Amino acid sequence: MMFFINPFSQEAKELVRDSGDLDKIIEEDARLISIIEYTRGQRLDDDSRIPGSLWELSLKRIEWYLEKRGRRRYQPGYYRFLFNPEIAEFDVIAFHILAQAIGAKFNPNSRESRIFIELEAEIVKERLSRMENRERERVISGILGEMLDSETPHWTKLEKLLENKRIKLTELILKDGKVILDKSATGRTQQIVKSIRENIIPALIMQETQEYIYKIHEMAAKIEPHPILAELAEKIRERISREFFIPRKTSPGTLKASKLDFDAFPPCIKNTIKGVQAGNRNDAIVLLLTGFLSYARLYPAVFKERKPHKVSDFDPTLSITLNEILPIIYEAADNCRPPLFQDDPQEKLNITAKLGFGLHETPSLENEGETKWYTPMSCEKIKIHLPILCKPDSLCEKIQNPLTYYNKRRWQKRKEEGDRDIPRGNTRR
Amino acid sequence: MIGIFQEATPEDRKKYYTREWRIEKIPDFIRENIHLREFGFDHTGQGPSDRYRFFRDEKLFTKFLRYRAPYAAYSSVALYDRPWKREGWISSELVFDVDAKDIPVRPCKCDNICEKCLDQAKEIVAMITDTLRDDLGLQEIHIIYSGRGYHIRVLDPVVLKLDSEVRSQILRYVIGGDVPDLSYTGLDGSIHGLDHFMVPLGYPSVFTERSRYIILHLSGDEKIEGITRQTMNKILEYRDLIKSDKWGEFKGIVGPEWVYDKLVRGVAKLNLQLVDARVTVDLKRILRLPSSLHSKVSMICTYVRDLESFDPLVDAVPDFVKERV
Repeated sequence: MMFFINPFSQEAKELVRDSGDLDKIIEEDARLISIIEYTRGQRLDDDSRIPGSLWELSLKRIEWYLEKRGRRRYQPGYYRFLFNPEIAEFDVIAFHILAQAIGAKFNPNSRESRIFIELEAEIVKERLSRMENRERERVISGILGEMLDSETPHWTKLEKLLENKRIKLTELILKDGKVILDKSATGRTQQIVKSIRENIIPALIMQETQEYIYKIHEMAAKIEPHPILAELAEKIRERISREFFIPRKTSPGTLKASKLDFDAFPPCIKNTIKGVQAGNRNDAIVLLLTGFLSYARLYPAVFKERKPHKVSDFDPTLSITLNEILPIIYEAADNCRPPLFQDDPQEKLNITAKLGFGLHETPSLENEGETKWYTPMSCEKIKIHLPILCKPDSLCEKIQNPLTYYNKRRWQKRKEEGDRDIPRGNTRR
Repeated sequence: MIGIFQEATPEDRKKYYTREWRIEKIPDFIRENIHLREFGFDHTGQGPSDRYRFFRDEKLFTKFLRYRAPYAAYSSVALYDRPWKREGWISSELVFDVDAKDIPVRPCKCDNICEKCLDQAKEIVAMITDTLRDDLGLQEIHIIYSGRGYHIRVLDPVVLKLDSEVRSQILRYVIGGDVPDLSYTGLDGSIHGLDHFMVPLGYPSVFTERSRYIILHLSGDEKIEGITRQTMNKILEYRDLIKSDKWGEFKGIVGPEWVYDKLVRGVAKLNLQLVDARVTVDLKRILRLPSSLHSKVSMICTYVRDLESFDPLVDAVPDFVKERV
């Protein structure tokens, strides 16, 4: 039952093809309910937790992932059915329904799409981990054969995975251009290969899901999607938004406290603001400063919470972005030698894109989600791409990203000033 | 040799480009698509400010070079439909730049470059090209002596369209920029881990080789985070153990597990400096043109046919320097 892990397998495609009418996905299915009821360890004390139809099952998949990530309220007993192989036939259809709804209604870079892609990797990982050893090995071999045509593919077959950082080249065992994923390795190396095999499957499924979403999105521009998918997409949007809703209990005083504190900027950011010479300007302004300032101002806790927030979650009218963040970025661009926009005016579009608003001159809510809101480059990347800006001080040695520096320095400053209301770590303000 | 590593005068440059330089000295992989590359020139010694240059054919290029005798000449690693605008990107060579003066461990301790550090650069190039061939299966590898180090230019079709991220990952692989993660889950569900030197192939073995190189070339003055003077002395005293692959013994002597971990992490950081990473990840980089004069050091940027027998102090010296002797 390969399709329980790989929703793109031949069997899965056949199942989906034969699955019939979309209108029926809201209908209750007794067989589905029965499988869930007989799932080992499944909690049955709350009917609303049990999906009765494919529509509900689709939403439960999303809910499972959001709750699991949220940790505190996650109760695995309510989601045991997702790991019962007997549900596979329903599950694979639910996967494709979700993909169709999300791909048709949301941008492939939107939060909804990203959550769906991550969810798929997570579900695959967990399903694999629950399999008996020999069965797992058999399934992995089958999927590798299906998706890469071989258990020793050329490393360039994994190009998209590398490009999207789903795996690292240094995590693989290569020989003569081939990735060793079969059982030819001997001794202790075999254990490592086994571990690579298990890690590569979720990465492959993630990549395939992303490409699938792109295809659906492209098609949806030409053909109007089924209304039921639009309705499902709306439910997904609501559910995900609820997860990212930020209670508006922040007083004006706290808001003021979150204004950018220039003194707490790390040396690389201070150097960028002073202006950068040609050769380093584009990366410094677009990849480093834009991410840094926007996250420092709006969501400094990103590396602690790791939630895929949008700018508008914190700045619903974009007034902070337009009036506080962008002016500093543009000024730094003007301080470059020669001024960045003078010979590279398209970089304004790239700045907007890095904030998550697509390739447009200025950010606007209607374009949000066309691209991802990028976090600032890590110190490691700065050392590679912008070594000229990296003049580390003592605090730099303890951090891996300029944003972490900013949070730590701010915390230190407030401690020194005797502030009794010091935030614990990178708390959101 | 008198005159090597000394700056060339405008007269030297003129002499070189009119008497010695010939278009045939440019490697075929550049000559055959000269019209698709961007060229850049430095006329004053201040950097390549004359960019976006385009030449329809070799004749025009030859004329330009002979007439202007630039301080330095560069061509793009990328091919473009419209090189004069750097637009219509077609492909980019995969490039590694090993600069002798930037090698992180230089026992010679010279200020600029010397024969010893040029030899070191050559050793590093040999290690990288071996990994490109043996691990990544790449074949079309060209080596250029740049004047102060070497450029490795890979032209296998599979690499030409790769984006920056993948290039950066290849770079980390070939130079040993990441500490290998060799953890795995045992049958009982517990997590185990291996040391890099326990896996004799793939990336762990590359990392072991690069680490061996770094450790054997440490002068003792290098700063490695978390490594005390005392530990550094121990490393220097017992490093011969790793020559004969006695890594386990070496690890035991260096100190407790966490000290060795710090050493390995520090070595990975030093490995990252073996190559100028910016050159590898930049798809639109211009590189010193093979056959052109590196005026700062009066040496010829030379295509290397056989790395082992190549001697820059013989094979890359222009006639005007030889005449000074």
